[in-house]
Amino acid sequence: MSSVALESVSKIYPGGAAVQDLDLEIAAGGFVVLLGPSGCGKTTTLRMIAGFVEPTQGRVLIGGRDVTRVPPRHRDIGMVFQNYALFPNMTVAQNIGFGLRHRGADRARIRRRVDEMLELIHLEGKGDSYADELSGGQQQRVALARALAASPQLLLMDEPLGALDQKLRENLQVELLRIQRELGITTVLVTHDQQEAMVLADRIVVMAGGRIQQAGTPRELYRRPANAFVADFMGKNNLMQGRGVGAAERLEIDLGSGCRMPLPAGACRGGEDLRIGVRPEQLDVGPVEGACIPATVEEARFLGNVAHYFLRTPWGQQLLAERFGGDCVYPAGSVVGVRWKPGDVVVLDGAGARHA
Amino acid sequence: MSGSRAAETGRGGANTIRWGAFLAPPLLLSLALLVLPQASFLWMSFHEDLGLGQSSETASLVNYVRIVTDPFYLHSIWLTVYLSAAAAAIGLVLGFATAYALARLGGWRARLALSLILTTSLITIVIKLMGLNLMLGASGLVNQALLAVGAVASPVAFVNNELGVLIGLVQYTLPILVLMLFGVVQTIPVGLEEAAAIHGASRAAIFARVILPLARTGLIGGGLIAFNMGMGAFTSAVLLGGGRVLTMPVLIQQKMIQSSEYGMGAALSTVLLVLVFTVNIVVATCVTRRRGSRP
Repeated sequence: MSSVALESVSKIYPGGAAVQDLDLEIAAGGFVVLLGPSGCGKTTTLRMIAGFVEPTQGRVLIGGRDVTRVPPRHRDIGMVFQNYALFPNMTVAQNIGFGLRHRGADRARIRRRVDEMLELIHLEGKGDSYADELSGGQQQRVALARALAASPQLLLMDEPLGALDQKLRENLQVELLRIQRELGITTVLVTHDQQEAMVLADRIVVMAGGRIQQAGTPRELYRRPANAFVADFMGKNNLMQGRGVGAAERLEIDLGSGCRMPLPAGACRGGEDLRIGVRPEQLDVGPVEGACIPATVEEARFLGNVAHYFLRTPWGQQLLAERFGGDCVYPAGSVVGVRWKPGDVVVLDGAGARHA
Repeated sequence: MSGSRAAETGRGGANTIRWGAFLAPPLLLSLALLVLPQASFLWMSFHEDLGLGQSSETASLVNYVRIVTDPFYLHSIWLTVYLSAAAAAIGLVLGFATAYALARLGGWRARLALSLILTTSLITIVIKLMGLNLMLGASGLVNQALLAVGAVASPVAFVNNELGVLIGLVQYTLPILVLMLFGVVQTIPVGLEEAAAIHGASRAAIFARVILPLARTGLIGGGLIAFNMGMGAFTSAVLLGGGRVLTMPVLIQQKMIQSSEYGMGAALSTVLLVLVFTVNIVVATCVTRRRGSRP
């Protein structure tokens, strides 16, 4: 298994830059997910690793070898495409054996390997079917088997589960993880689905505007987002703008309309404009007393395991609070006190403009 | 109960338009303009020509017997089939290459090129062929260029022979093939080519194992259309064959218009029609059968 490295890679199109000055190292055997909204450059990055897009600048290394000018078929990569791209004129077995066949393996070895792969994806006996006779989930697994059959040193996946419904997607995520761990193959997956990224990745690379916003474990990105974009993109977040007041020991944020809430010690200097983020599950909703923000419940939604409160603050912002236990204690129209622990506050950069 | 429902349906209900009724007028018109003349043609073909436009009263197979025994007619049939098939094959190669490049280029450039091709196919064939005649004649641009660079010692006979007819037929069918095959290539996702490329296939292998099999039905359909057009092409054969290349359409015209041998002309037409139908049905049957075993 091989490591992958992108060294100050850029892809500039006549209309603008798709990827700008990107540095990325992926350890051998790792599972990295490139995550971001559409147009963020994640797919272009994946296609540069695959060799379908030639970087305008920079180098692509696979297993330490510079492959920047190497055509895709000599990069020793397996790839799962969006919508699978299975060959409709070939059987499942021919699809899976495609890579081996074109790398000159003999018939017996191809047959053995195809059987192994069919077993791996639990589709024994489906070798003679055609792709359009299979369900979406089965097609996805065949696409994975085709990518892995020739034992490549790197597996790339472009939104591999995007076309499937939620339940099937969750099952296949588990399946994908099992196979990836079993083979220990270095894997790079592209998705816009934050949940999927957190399930699969041991490292997530959040991209926006052709640049990496933050790279880290799912926990790091969720708990310690580096900027407002990551804070907002990874899960739900309540971003609030205010001014730091007080000093050292007793720092507070002035949110306007006379609302002040405590900040963790050393979070900022007094008098500084700043933006903070508090997760919906960390907003406590209770009676109006002590240090809290008095807010009006605009809507209370029963979601089974949790309840969602949409709250209007005195300065006019809407906040979302997520409380465990599905029953809505506070009906719409009631006034509640919103509070949070200083330790749960993430202080983001000033206005966040740097990353917008 | 069921009777009243049937009456309801028969009246058409509030939202039901009986689309079948719209087909009746064109059907009758086609019947009048196509089937009736063909029937009278068929009837005529069974009557021997007696000269000066007169034909025998009694029905016989004389005309057909002559067609299948006289080397002159057999050669004409062979010539027509061979030139049409060759033109279709050349057209498929050139047309598919062009259509593939345009489909993969995409965007406004492809649209512009397609509309230009469409425009040229709307220009009357006579004008295009006269242009070709001038270009390819003994003192035409092409021969002058070949002589100037010393590629040939004397002018090449491009026109007034079979080669000329072949060139004319390709010219005639190529635009339609490009337009048709463009649509075929567009149905082959680029993703399939990428999937083949990253899993080890060379350009040649991608073409042979992915593109060609997926375009197969479209190529056969396009080939048939070009072949049918060639089989019926009169103008190209006359103008670029210089009256010396006697394909069946040319021969039929001579029989009917010049020598008033209506019976023979009709018999030749019938043979041509049956030939074209047979080729199409046989090819179409083979395609469907192979499809059945490989969905």
